[in-house]
Amino acid sequence: MLRSDQIISTVEMIQKENLDVRTVTMGINLLDCRTGDVGSTCDRIEKRIHTLAGNFVATCNAVSRKLGIPVVNKRISVTPIAFVGAGFDRHGFVELAKCLDRSATSVGVDILGGFSAQVEKGMTATDREYIASIPDALATTNKVCASINIATSQKGINMDALAMIGRTIKELAERTRDQGGFGAAKFVVFCNQPGDNPFMAGAIHGLEEADAVLNIGVSGPGVIARALERMISHHQGKEPLRLDEIAEEIKQTTFRVTRCGELIGRQVSKALGIEFGVVDLSLAPTPTIGDSVGEIFKILGVDAVGAPGSTAILAMLNDAVKKGGIFASKTVGGLSGAFIPVMEDAVLAEAVGEGALCLEKLESMTCVCSVGLDMIAIPGSVDADTISAIIADEMALGMVNHKTTAARIIPVPGKEVGDYVSFGGLFGASPIMEIRNAGKSSRFMAWGGRIPAPIHSFKN
Amino acid sequence: MNKQMIISVMAKDRPGIIAEITGAIYALKGDLADLNQSILCGYLTMILIASFEEEVTREDVLAEISHIQSGERFDVLIKEMDIPIEIAHTPPPTDTYILTAQGKNRSGLVHSISQFCYSHGINILDLATTLSDDQYTMVLQLDMRKISSIEAVAADLEVFSRDSGLRLVIQHNDIFRVTNEIALH
Repeated sequence: MLRSDQIISTVEMIQKENLDVRTVTMGINLLDCRTGDVGSTCDRIEKRIHTLAGNFVATCNAVSRKLGIPVVNKRISVTPIAFVGAGFDRHGFVELAKCLDRSATSVGVDILGGFSAQVEKGMTATDREYIASIPDALATTNKVCASINIATSQKGINMDALAMIGRTIKELAERTRDQGGFGAAKFVVFCNQPGDNPFMAGAIHGLEEADAVLNIGVSGPGVIARALERMISHHQGKEPLRLDEIAEEIKQTTFRVTRCGELIGRQVSKALGIEFGVVDLSLAPTPTIGDSVGEIFKILGVDAVGAPGSTAILAMLNDAVKKGGIFASKTVGGLSGAFIPVMEDAVLAEAVGEGALCLEKLESMTCVCSVGLDMIAIPGSVDADTISAIIADEMALGMVNHKTTAARIIPVPGKEVGDYVSFGGLFGASPIMEIRNAGKSSRFMAWGGRIPAPIHSFKN
Repeated sequence: MNKQMIISVMAKDRPGIIAEITGAIYALKGDLADLNQSILCGYLTMILIASFEEEVTREDVLAEISHIQSGERFDVLIKEMDIPIEIAHTPPPTDTYILTAQGKNRSGLVHSISQFCYSHGINILDLATTLSDDQYTMVLQLDMRKISSIEAVAADLEVFSRDSGLRLVIQHNDIFRVTNEIALH
């Protein structure tokens, strides 16, 4: 029997502090679903997803009920679709997107990722058709998410593709104008994209994976925030706390959060007979009050998120999360760190509205955390080249620092700085962020070609 | 070595009690199989299982323990087992849950919650209580193999919580194991 105080502290973590497992994501290989035509390929894809994931949602719900921990989302990731649809044209890719949407709806998952391509070095004719299909594919589906890996530390940055992506994002937002450009929230651009990430919009089932695998995304910024508040209040009137003690508390709390994810993953995996892949130890906020990464900054001593010190706090937080989580889980993967998605985090969104948090500060913060410039609503008038160039900067950070970075930028049609956009649910809401120096990067984007991979020695 | 006895001892706590009791068993060439002890408000209680040669009787063990020279006498109960007990440690059943109950201290709390468990066919495997600042906390480890469904028990617990004023949380035992133990089985 465990000690009563341990039990009570675990009960508090689960009941009062928003502990949940953010997602159980089933990765499914679709490579062998390719036939000679779009129609029969779609049939095989639907059959494959139904066979593997038919009982997926019910099984997750049963395990969640038994253990008393909510599993917020059940998701599917598939082989990057540009590989599956090799040789298809843009219309064929839109049909594939619709087929994935139907499959996701029929098995009852919340969202499906993998409408994706990997173009970090060069683009095939298929890749170009795939990119051209993105606006239509995402505007005409509900549950499909798209991502593209456009840079790696080994290959550099594909600037030809990146120039196309700025225009694609603009078109995608315009196609979903009546939803505030929501289509762009379902599309993310990566440097060093992992193949086992369970989080959206960037989940894919990488080519290196087996036929089917289950990956778990744990969450828990609320749990960390409450643990820190409790620790700080217990120290009132005693010797002041030091940052290394705070980091230790984050580490231990993350251990416990991760263990819950590991337990759910193992049990769902056993029940479905599908291999358990990884736990992604990310602190993923939700718009719910009390489930914010931004709140942790304030607890740790900056009065505004984005104030000097914010990057240092995030570096410590991100590292402590990794240290606690890695020991808790048999296999860790995906993104694993702290997320700072502006729209999905009420405190970060508020900081944007107050003018405390700007794009440049966010960019510097992404150097020390996962994942990148995420869920940032910008004026719809910002030009495509500027969007591409913002992404290029973010890709460069990932490429040089050998880490995953990503950009999910939403140019909200018809809205300007001072306006507000809301997507609802997990996607959240935010004021529109100012983009300084817009319209001044076109000559840079016009070059095209590739930014070569960085040197892997002489690191200073 | 084929006669098993269950021995229960209660005494005011002080150093040496376990050494003396197990010394008495050793003197009768007994083999100690398992022992569990607990201290509550300065009183020690222990329960142990030992096996003896066929000719050793319950009275022999009682006499050996009563010969121990100590300031205070032990309250001892001994039961000879007719049917052998399986000594191997068995893990708790898979349907083991932890129920925590917290509320303002008053008489009858443990009775009401244990009555709830009894009426639902739930066996209490372990129970620990603490009183702090007039707040009474109970932690119960429950064998829920015989319940109809966890949802039904949870719904009844909600009603019980409203009626009793206790804050009740029920979670699967595995959650507490994985968040508090290093090894993950």
